[in-house]
Amino acid sequence: MSELLQIGSPNQRPRQPRAEDLKLNFSEQGVKDLAALVSHYPNKKACILPGLWLAQREYGGFLSGEAIAEVAHRLERSYAEVQGVATFYSLYNVAHQPGRHKIELCTCLCCHINGAWNLRDRLVAKLGIRHGETTADGMFTLEEVECLNACDRAPCMQVGSDYYGPLTEESLDALIEKLRNTEESTVVQYAADVVKVQLRNGEI
Amino acid sequence: MAEYKLLLEHSHDPLFKTLAGYKATGGYTALPKALGMERSAIIDAVKAAGLRGRGGAGAPAALKWGGMPKEKKTQHYLICNADEGEPGTFKDKELLENCPFELVEGMTIAGYAVLGDVGYVYIRGEYMDGAKALRNAIDEAYAAGLLGKNILGTGFDFDIQIHMGAGSYECGEETALMSSLMGERGMPRLKFPSAPFPVISGVFEKPTLIHNVESYCNAPVIVNKGAEWFASLGATTKNSRGTKIFSVSGHVNKPGNYEIEFGTPLRELLELAGGVRGGKLKACIPGGSSVPVITAEDVDRAIIGYEEMSEVKSMVGSGGCMFFNEHTDMVKLAWRSAVFYANESCGKCTPCREGTRWMVQILERICKGGGRPGDVEMLRQVASQIDGRSFCPLGDAAAWPVLAAIRVFPQEFEYYCQHGKSMIDSKPSLVGVP
Repeated sequence: MSELLQIGSPNQRPRQPRAEDLKLNFSEQGVKDLAALVSHYPNKKACILPGLWLAQREYGGFLSGEAIAEVAHRLERSYAEVQGVATFYSLYNVAHQPGRHKIELCTCLCCHINGAWNLRDRLVAKLGIRHGETTADGMFTLEEVECLNACDRAPCMQVGSDYYGPLTEESLDALIEKLRNTEESTVVQYAADVVKVQLRNGEI
Repeated sequence: MAEYKLLLEHSHDPLFKTLAGYKATGGYTALPKALGMERSAIIDAVKAAGLRGRGGAGAPAALKWGGMPKEKKTQHYLICNADEGEPGTFKDKELLENCPFELVEGMTIAGYAVLGDVGYVYIRGEYMDGAKALRNAIDEAYAAGLLGKNILGTGFDFDIQIHMGAGSYECGEETALMSSLMGERGMPRLKFPSAPFPVISGVFEKPTLIHNVESYCNAPVIVNKGAEWFASLGATTKNSRGTKIFSVSGHVNKPGNYEIEFGTPLRELLELAGGVRGGKLKACIPGGSSVPVITAEDVDRAIIGYEEMSEVKSMVGSGGCMFFNEHTDMVKLAWRSAVFYANESCGKCTPCREGTRWMVQILERICKGGGRPGDVEMLRQVASQIDGRSFCPLGDAAAWPVLAAIRVFPQEFEYYCQHGKSMIDSKPSLVGVP
């Protein structure tokens, strides 16, 4: 309890690139996927959330100003509107380039009473980073998040698309070691998974 | 009474996630039956069954189904609210992961009954396992002609799309969810585009039927077994019918989802979950973090039912039932709950946006040992000024747990303010953590 939770995420607002600097970096697959996603909705505006997930995949897990500008351009919306949406939701990484693995540790009610704070302290000591920060080697980002709704597995955390719990300090250590040896970015994989589940069999 | 499994009966069977396995247990018998019925007959059955929304508010489902326009002038949308975020609740997660076909069949039946064209399943961004299972189910249903054009040769067309959220508790509120689905910040609306109810003008300003996962999953059961049979479940309660899945967690030996019939005593739910661990029972939050906390004595006399729970000044809510043992520091729990709402407040209404932060600040001061005389009274004032003064129920939900904690455990708050520390030694509460 010595340290209390920060309210809100430490957001730095993304910056809009100048109009002449707009670059379209989506891969061919990305353009196809976006077209398929747009077809699910009666208008392009509704595709902003799926579009941002797609951009998060295409831009290596980080929604920079350039990524947001590309989504806005492709969906024919204003930059301000898309940025407003992107900064509202906590799973979009708008503050800075996240590490290869984003550790989302639940500290909400059930985890709170089941030892999440010990895990938090251990992670802080082990990784040398606090809520919202990324390790210098770009390996881990730590975030204390609200309820992950896996209270039967408290204390739990999410890394990429996967939930882990109930965790002990030992299993936490083992998980960190396993992640260290995982070359693939779970942040990008997560965004790719989110895009994939929204597309039908024939659309991929 | 024991568990009464309607929806979770086959949840442990891995084959239940496949179309063949689902059909082998009697799945997809309700849809052909429903497609042969008059649309109004299905809505009447839902009404006669007494099905109430399982998302938290407990509104009669038939109000929504019957409110949808009977003649088709424009597109009709269905939304499944799978943005489960209420702390303590994980029933929709299990339904999505283990029983995805129940949802697909239920939504298709509802789609037929209300002349729906497209159903969107809004899943919270974190639920990847559930989303993947549902994706497989939807793809299989399309391949088998159970979704898409001309379902089962009846000329009824219906599509289901998955829409992933991106991390916002607020989007579990129906108007905020629709804002989010339309590509906006997830903020609630007092009146959706131009009408008071989604059934008249909801998402994309078209008639919209919006329900929780569990509510839709009940539709095949009602069609298959009949409204009368469904209404006989929970007949001992005033107005709650059928079964309800409770997610039991906290200081219990066997946390998990338990499906029980309405009318079951709350105590039995605790026993199903293997009883309290690490000490005696102290308190319970029976329906997710938003509902008021109750004492162990109230747990002994509480009966699970929408009206019955109000006798112990609490609610069924979303079914996220958390039990706490005697070593739980209720002030810190109230603080953690307040932090949750402060973090998740969307910022639209001033009382909620500012009030939740004030509550956190006061509770933080108390928890850090700097509580002043009058702090508890100030906390009560701030909380009661949020209650009922915001567009959506998030504001009320932020105020109730704090108000209830002060009402039920006033001595703990007073002790904290006077002595600068807790009267509870909360260390032992961690005993038995797996």
